[in-house]
Amino acid sequence: MNTQTPFIRVSNLNYQYPDGTHALWDINLEIYEGEFIAFIGQNGSGKTTLSKCLNGLFKPTSGDVIVEDLNSKTSSIVQMVRRVGYVFQNPDHQLFNNNCWDEIAYGPRNIQLPEEQVKERVEEAAQVVGLPERYFSEHPFFLSKGLRQRVAIASILALRPKLIIVDEPTTGQDARQSFEIMDFLKDLNENHGHIIVIITHDMPIVAAYARRVVAMGQGRILADGPTAEVFKQTELLAQTFLEPPQITQLAQRVQDLGYDPGTLTVESMVAQHIALRARRDNP
Amino acid sequence: MNKTLLGYVPKESPIYFIHPFVKLYFLLVVSLFPMFITQPEVNLFIMAVILLLMIWSRVDLRILRIYVPVAIAMGWIILLSYTVLGGTHPEFELLAKVLGIKIYWERLRDGVVVYCRILPMIATMVFFLTTSRERDVIVAMRSVRIPFVVTYVFAMALRSSGMVLEDFQIVRQAEQARGFDTTGKSLGYKIRKYVMYMIPLFALSLRRTEEFTNALVARGYAFTGEAAKVKRADYILTHYSFKLHDGILVALISILFIIILTLRYGYNAFSLDSSLLINWLYQILR
Amino acid sequence: MVHLIEIENYSWQYLNTPQEALKNINLKIEQGSFVGIIGPNGAGKTTLAYSMDGLIPGQYRGLKHGVVKIRGIEVEEYPRGRLQQMVGMVFSDPEAQFTAMTVEDELVFGMENLGMSLPEIRERLEWVTELTELKHLLLKPPYEISGGQKQRVALAAVLAMTPEVLILDEPTSMLDPVSRKRVFEVLQKLKQSQNTVIVIEHSLENLIPLADRMILLADGEIALDAETGEFFQRLDLLLEKGISPPGAMRFFYELTQKNLYHGRLPLTVDEAAALLRGAA
Repeated sequence: MNTQTPFIRVSNLNYQYPDGTHALWDINLEIYEGEFIAFIGQNGSGKTTLSKCLNGLFKPTSGDVIVEDLNSKTSSIVQMVRRVGYVFQNPDHQLFNNNCWDEIAYGPRNIQLPEEQVKERVEEAAQVVGLPERYFSEHPFFLSKGLRQRVAIASILALRPKLIIVDEPTTGQDARQSFEIMDFLKDLNENHGHIIVIITHDMPIVAAYARRVVAMGQGRILADGPTAEVFKQTELLAQTFLEPPQITQLAQRVQDLGYDPGTLTVESMVAQHIALRARRDNP
Repeated sequence: MNKTLLGYVPKESPIYFIHPFVKLYFLLVVSLFPMFITQPEVNLFIMAVILLLMIWSRVDLRILRIYVPVAIAMGWIILLSYTVLGGTHPEFELLAKVLGIKIYWERLRDGVVVYCRILPMIATMVFFLTTSRERDVIVAMRSVRIPFVVTYVFAMALRSSGMVLEDFQIVRQAEQARGFDTTGKSLGYKIRKYVMYMIPLFALSLRRTEEFTNALVARGYAFTGEAAKVKRADYILTHYSFKLHDGILVALISILFIIILTLRYGYNAFSLDSSLLINWLYQILR
Repeated sequence: MVHLIEIENYSWQYLNTPQEALKNINLKIEQGSFVGIIGPNGAGKTTLAYSMDGLIPGQYRGLKHGVVKIRGIEVEEYPRGRLQQMVGMVFSDPEAQFTAMTVEDELVFGMENLGMSLPEIRERLEWVTELTELKHLLLKPPYEISGGQKQRVALAAVLAMTPEVLILDEPTSMLDPVSRKRVFEVLQKLKQSQNTVIVIEHSLENLIPLADRMILLADGEIALDAETGEFFQRLDLLLEKGISPPGAMRFFYELTQKNLYHGRLPLTVDEAAALLRGAA
């Protein structure tokens, strides 16, 4: 992975809000094609701020964010959003067209695509998110939360950005809905070539889906690496008031018995348990 | 720094010693002064006094930077509407003719007078907004026994406007994230497109209204009926007591107002004829 | 015997909806119990909560069958305000619940609505800010505090009204893990002082150690209602209805499925770790 050119390179990024609060300190980060990353950290740690710097919504106070060949400081929003998409947590913040078709078409129209291409993109995006045709003429306001979220994602997908940042995909969802949306993101990552970044607190979801974790605290990156590795650093996680998922905690509690402190899933724990028992029974 | 309605005041400031009612009274009464004063120099003097009061309250004066261009723009608009758009008035003295437009002395003079009246009125408003917190406004209203319903609706309006502003920021970003870019486009375009923002804001407010109402009901609040007739303890008033200096200030403001009225109607003071500034201006422009 | 909450053959259908949101609900809750209600989204948990507080049918239109009684009296028969004082409700959105302009005003609002006197208000205010650790935030306006702090304020504001039972509808779903823990810490204190608390939650990890009794709501009906330990022995049913149990519990469930374990499922990481050590 390190031999390729990164899709995004962040160098010495610092960001200060207009009222003076310094939100990001010396951030260095590289994101490559095919990755599935989770940004974790307490509220106020800077994960949302960093994400908004990645798609050009926020321009760095100092340092650079380079997406492919574009520098976010000198590129227009229109150029940036074709590469980095941002799905906001609450779909209501972005839905305003009279029907779902126009809603999804909004992005492509903003980047001045000819109408036949717009049509193509809308149909494609709707198909990927699983939005049935009968909803095309419906007003987004009256759809269920789940459908609204899909329309919101479709409207970003229609811009065909390589990198998609999703803010809190599972907050407020029940288990089945969480898995549905995450499986969908996994599909986008594995079968459609998108880089996925999720901003979340949901540790079991991070364990199950993210291959890499960036843990932030007080505007800095505290840890950046494969999920299991980051989850082993419990004191570091505690600094940003996070705990690994319960199954990892359990494994860590009994690591002296031979369990891997980087265990991420119940299945893995079960497999280890069986192996350890076998070894114990047949020394 | 404590955030006030329109600015910031440091944690230590003499303004905190003044009862919110006095601040409200100041706003309501002093903003009427210019209505009875025609002489621009007196009105400008009032404005200077208010600025001094802001300095004394240790308001962060950087907030005023926003108002300077507004004040200048307003000045030009008034000047233009009184002169260029003033029309033809043969009874007035013609000062000059620019590109076919007649500039009359009287109109110019009136424009200056109006401008110098508006400035202190706005200054009083700004002074109030930069030194009062939301709670002060509500305390001021409650201390004069305005019905609770009214003050509560006002408080809710403040609260909702805060939430709407927060939402607005996010909506703006969400639209930008879909390629919505107003840089370099015309003002007309911007205005048309900004109307778009209203829709998600409405949607969000509508959804929140249900929860907000439920929360109110769950706290036992009722706007009408038996439950509304309960005698309220008005706890927050217990933090504010009307002191001697507050009474003196209210008396002072009231006396000042009466003096101005007396001078104006009894002695014809503050008139244009005796205005030094106006006379000086006339000399220059002639 | 008069139960604190008694619901008999209750069903509710919102106006203009194709089916009932709740059907055949039979439930009795006694004073001093800590009950957890879980279920997938759309199962009717919020409807049930609102029914116990009089918000349904008070604020919503629809068809009601059956009886919902608080202390033996049906919810519709309570004078306006009285029921709300007895049944305190905390909602899931911290923003929409904050109606005043400072924390202190928010806490005092409910008490004023009830006509409490100044000394009573002062006393309750003191108690409630102590319990929820809000002393340093009293004069702050809503835009200067976090979502988690706002939820603690909501909780405190409701507690200040001295309710007999406290219902919390997904109080932590919009909060980060730290804020979530702090809210549950307050709930733990309430449990220790034997308040009656009903919590609707998705975050099972935090709920399980506190709940004496758990109810599973699915498709508008009560699918399971049992003491917590017993409740989670029926993990097969929970999984079927879309509940995702905490990792440690799930692990032992999988072992049970493989015939590698035959005991009670642990409710916490501590119990699970102890079991693994015991077996090693």
